[in-house]
Amino acid sequence: MTEEVVFDHYDQVREAMYHPDLSRGMDPRSAEEGNPRADVLSVLHGDEHKARRRIENPLFRRSALVEYERELFPKVLAEICARDAVGQVDLFELGGALSVVLAARRTGIDHDGSAEQLQELFGHVKIIAQASAIMDVVGDRDQVRAEVMAVLQRFDERYVQPSLRRRERLLDGDPDGSGEEAPHDLLTVALRRRRAGDATFDGGVLVREAGLYLHGGSHTSAQTLCNTFYYLLGHDGTQRDAALVERAAADPLFAQRCVHETLRLRPTTPRIKRVAVADARVAGIDVVEGARVVMDVVSANQDAELFGAHPERFDPDRVVRDDVAMWGLSFGAGPHICIGRSVAGGFPLHGEATHDDVGQAHLHGLVALMVQAVAARGVRRDPQHDPVLDERTDRGTRWLHFPVRFPDGDGDRTPNAHAAHTARSGGPTARNL
Amino acid sequence: MSQQQPLPVSVDPDLCVGSGDCARVAPTAFEVNDEGLSVALEGARTTDRSLLVDAVRDCPTGAITLTDAAVEEPR
Repeated sequence: MTEEVVFDHYDQVREAMYHPDLSRGMDPRSAEEGNPRADVLSVLHGDEHKARRRIENPLFRRSALVEYERELFPKVLAEICARDAVGQVDLFELGGALSVVLAARRTGIDHDGSAEQLQELFGHVKIIAQASAIMDVVGDRDQVRAEVMAVLQRFDERYVQPSLRRRERLLDGDPDGSGEEAPHDLLTVALRRRRAGDATFDGGVLVREAGLYLHGGSHTSAQTLCNTFYYLLGHDGTQRDAALVERAAADPLFAQRCVHETLRLRPTTPRIKRVAVADARVAGIDVVEGARVVMDVVSANQDAELFGAHPERFDPDRVVRDDVAMWGLSFGAGPHICIGRSVAGGFPLHGEATHDDVGQAHLHGLVALMVQAVAARGVRRDPQHDPVLDERTDRGTRWLHFPVRFPDGDGDRTPNAHAAHTARSGGPTARNL
Repeated sequence: MSQQQPLPVSVDPDLCVGSGDCARVAPTAFEVNDEGLSVALEGARTTDRSLLVDAVRDCPTGAITLTDAAVEEPR
C-alpha cells in the first residue's frame, strides 16, 4: 500500500509546495503519452517544467494584464451582461461565457463571439475540467479520460486547427493584406517555436495545452464567481448584510477582497496532491519515494495567527499578516504556482490592503470585475432554485448550477456604462477582441 | 550613483521560473527577459525599498534576495 503523508499547517504546506522532489505527475494514466494531460504544463516536473514556464510566462506580462483588465474585459462585461444577465440566470454559465472570451484570446482560439460558440467552447471546458480534477473524481476515471479525449479531438478539429492556420498565414507575412499582425497568444508562441525547430508543442501537446489554458482561464474563474456569491448571498447559512453586495458593486477593491476571502475558504483545489520522486525530508517529515503527499489547503488557510480571528468565517474586511496573501495558498506556491493567478485574482492583498496601500497601479483581477458587474446588476438569490454542487468530484467547491435572479428587462446598471456604449456603437466586442 | 556597486536585489537564475511577479510589483527594478528569466535592472537602485521587499515576498520560488547594497533615495 502506498504511503500517504498529509500536511495541514500553513508552513508545512508551503514548504511542500516548494520541494523539488514532490511531483505533480501522480496520475500516470492521465499524464503519460496518449492521455488527456500528457506533457501539459501543470504535470511537468523539474527542469522540463521550468523550461515550459519560461516559454509561457511572457503571456502573463503586466502589459497584457493591464490591457485585459482596463481595456478588454470591461467591454466583454458590458456586452455579455447586457445580453445575458437578465431574469433567471445560471451564474456558472454566465461566468463561463464572460471568462472564456479572454481565455480564448490568451490561448489563441478564434471564434465568432456568438452566444452559441461561447457556449460550445465553455461546454468543452466543462468536460476538460474533469481531467484536471481526475484525482478527485468520484466514479469511473477511465470513462472521464475517454470523454476528455473525445472532446479534445473535437476542440482540435473545430477550433485549434483553424486558429493555427490563420496564425500560420499571419506569420508568413500577412498575404491577405489585412494589416493584421500575429497575435500574442499560446498558439502563436508554439508556432514560432516550431518554425525555429523546437518540438516542445509537437505530438498533440499543443491541443492539450490549449485545452488546459481554456479551462484554467474560465472554469476556475466561473467557479470562483459562484463561490463568492455563495457567501455574499448567504448560501452558507449565514444571515449576511445585503450591504456587502452594494459595497462590491461600488468598489472593485472590496469586490477583490470578497474574491480573495472566498478563495481562502473555498479553494479551487482544496487538497493539492504530489508524489515523492525520491526519498525526501519535507517540513521535518521523512517521505519515502513513491509516497503520496496531500496538502490540505483549506486547513492551512485557517491559521488564526496568519489570517486573524475566526479564520473559518467569511470576512472580506479581515486584516491578514503582512507576509501572507489574503488568498492564502489557494493558488499554490513555488514553481507550480498558478500561472494565471494574476489574471483571475489580480495582485495579492497583504495586511490591511487599503486603497492607499495598493496604489493606482493595482490590478483587481477579472473575477473581481465579474463580481462587481454582477453585483451592480442587482443580483439576488433565486427563491425557487438552490445551487447544485458538482458531485462528480469530491472537491466540494465546484458547482453544476448556480441559479440567481437579475431584474427583468434592460436594467443596464453595469459599472462601466461607457464600455456598454462602446460595445453597442461598434468598438471591440467579444467577437473581435 | 556608482554603477560598480552591486544592485540591491539579485535573482537566482536556477530558481527563477520567470513568473514575472517581481516585474509586476516593481517594474522599475525587474523585467522578464527574452529567455523568460527575471533580471534586476539598474532602476532597482532608485526603486522604493518597500517595493523590493514586496517583490522578494511575492516571488513564488524564492529566487529574489535583497543584497547589502544601499538603495538610493528615489529621484
